[in-house]
Amino acid sequence: MNATERCLSRRGLLKILGVASSGIAVRRWLGPDVTMAQAPAPGNAIESFTGPGANLHWNSVGPYVTEPQKVPLLLLTDRPVQLETPRHYFRTAFTPNEAFYVRWHLEGIPNSVDLRNWKLQIEGNVNKPLALNLPELMHKFKPVSLAAVNQCSGNSRSRLQPRVPGAQWGNGAMGNAMWTGVRLRELLDMAGVKSGSLLVQFQGLETGQGPEGLGSNLFLKSLGLGNPVLDECIVAYLMNGEPLPMLNGFPVRLVVPGYFATYWTKCLTWIRVLNAPDENFWMKTGYRVPDTPLGNTTPEDVKAGKVKTVPIERLPVRSFFISPDGSSKIPAGMNVMLRGIAFTGFGRVIRVEVSDDGGKSWMAAKLGEDHGAYSFRTWEASWTAMSPGRYSLAVRATDEKSNTQPDEPIWNPGGYLWNRIERQEIVVGNAS
Amino acid sequence: MKNRVQTIFLVMCILVMAAGVVYADLKKGYYSPAELGSVRQAAPIKLLPDSNYQAPAYPVAAVDLAPGDGRQDVQIYCNTCHSPGYITMQPPLSSATWEAEVNKMNKTFGAGIPEENTQKIILYLQARYTAETRKQ
Repeated sequence: MNATERCLSRRGLLKILGVASSGIAVRRWLGPDVTMAQAPAPGNAIESFTGPGANLHWNSVGPYVTEPQKVPLLLLTDRPVQLETPRHYFRTAFTPNEAFYVRWHLEGIPNSVDLRNWKLQIEGNVNKPLALNLPELMHKFKPVSLAAVNQCSGNSRSRLQPRVPGAQWGNGAMGNAMWTGVRLRELLDMAGVKSGSLLVQFQGLETGQGPEGLGSNLFLKSLGLGNPVLDECIVAYLMNGEPLPMLNGFPVRLVVPGYFATYWTKCLTWIRVLNAPDENFWMKTGYRVPDTPLGNTTPEDVKAGKVKTVPIERLPVRSFFISPDGSSKIPAGMNVMLRGIAFTGFGRVIRVEVSDDGGKSWMAAKLGEDHGAYSFRTWEASWTAMSPGRYSLAVRATDEKSNTQPDEPIWNPGGYLWNRIERQEIVVGNAS
Repeated sequence: MKNRVQTIFLVMCILVMAAGVVYADLKKGYYSPAELGSVRQAAPIKLLPDSNYQAPAYPVAAVDLAPGDGRQDVQIYCNTCHSPGYITMQPPLSSATWEAEVNKMNKTFGAGIPEENTQKIILYLQARYTAETRKQ
């Protein structure tokens, strides 16, 4: 029986039963624009922008797009490319390369790299400048592997109140991968850093249309030579055991464990030792946070010029609900598993706790496999709601430096460092 | 009279129950013409075993800039360094913030937009993309 026949037979049945007054049944046949009171809601598209209130969705609200070497991801911008990873890809500790978020600053993103010509240069204030091709990087040095979270400084920017301009990320401007490559320190030692040097500057293949010397022309980042993080940095040619997607920085990318992604230069090609402060826009003006606890300030204090800023550095501790995601009801009395991830840039995550009363009481979640201090750590907690209703679940993580997540919003003009306790509303229905 | 009311009530109950039986049977097979996005799959690209590693061109998204005076200036000048999606992605921003953003493009990033066009762009953004004015 095809659909039309089925409709007719039902209509006939209705006629026989004489239930013309029953709008519930009849209105279904009137056409797609008429919704029955109890009909399933149509699958409408999400709004195309959010604000002036906060974005209440887990992810940003853009459409799915397919970019080279990627599965459909959420579009923020197409030129330069900025893509967000959908929530469900965080069910595992490692984020697949093809789903890994993308964030470029300048529109000149490489479409191709010829490895016959490409060389990583170590130059500037060094005794012996080096130019190493990929085979030399792969075979002249001992490969090291490290799991590390790469999170955009502006991840979750769309939560801020008042809203601030910038890429309006939801929570998906982050990912975790197993990075394999050469220790930055070995490269610096081989080149021989001259005494009196201050910084190491990193430059990739990305270029912009702006005039030379401005932030719209080159994206440059630097780290102090005395910064212990340099000993942990890797120049990575493998990401989860595969070559990096072009959009994630093929052929090599700098990995700065525990630091925000702004330092993880993609398509890294120049490592430059400086003996003077780095005055370029991306260090002096961009990616700076208030020198206050949690990087918090107010629009009033910014306006009054009271805010002293410092370059953004380490990832504050965060934790997320990944599933259930609130899109389905859970029958009362059913035991379900709450699952998510946690990470920090300050040592290991030592505790994850969940609350089902909006944060009044907390119970410990079970931590998943430990892939190292800089990795996502999965967590799970079994949960049963005995009575129907709306539950506000909350999750918070604590790291080994005793840092934990605030339950107050963060605000700074750049929209950085958001790590407020995450909440997930779950609707529990009657089971009988 | 009382009997008649009771009878009508009984008949109504039966009718409602009968409708319920039918309705229960109807609770499947609903489809909606709601417009959800569909994404075409990318065709596999031809790879050669040489030293050149390529990604196909990055696709440009259609951006629906609000109509109005200054729209063309945005398309010409802003588009040099970034797609207009940078504008439509933003939450509604205040007039002062839009002015500061456009001035930043000129002063900090050297966009070099002529003064007249700069003013047109600022007015366009203020007229279309603040909390009071944003429609789409």
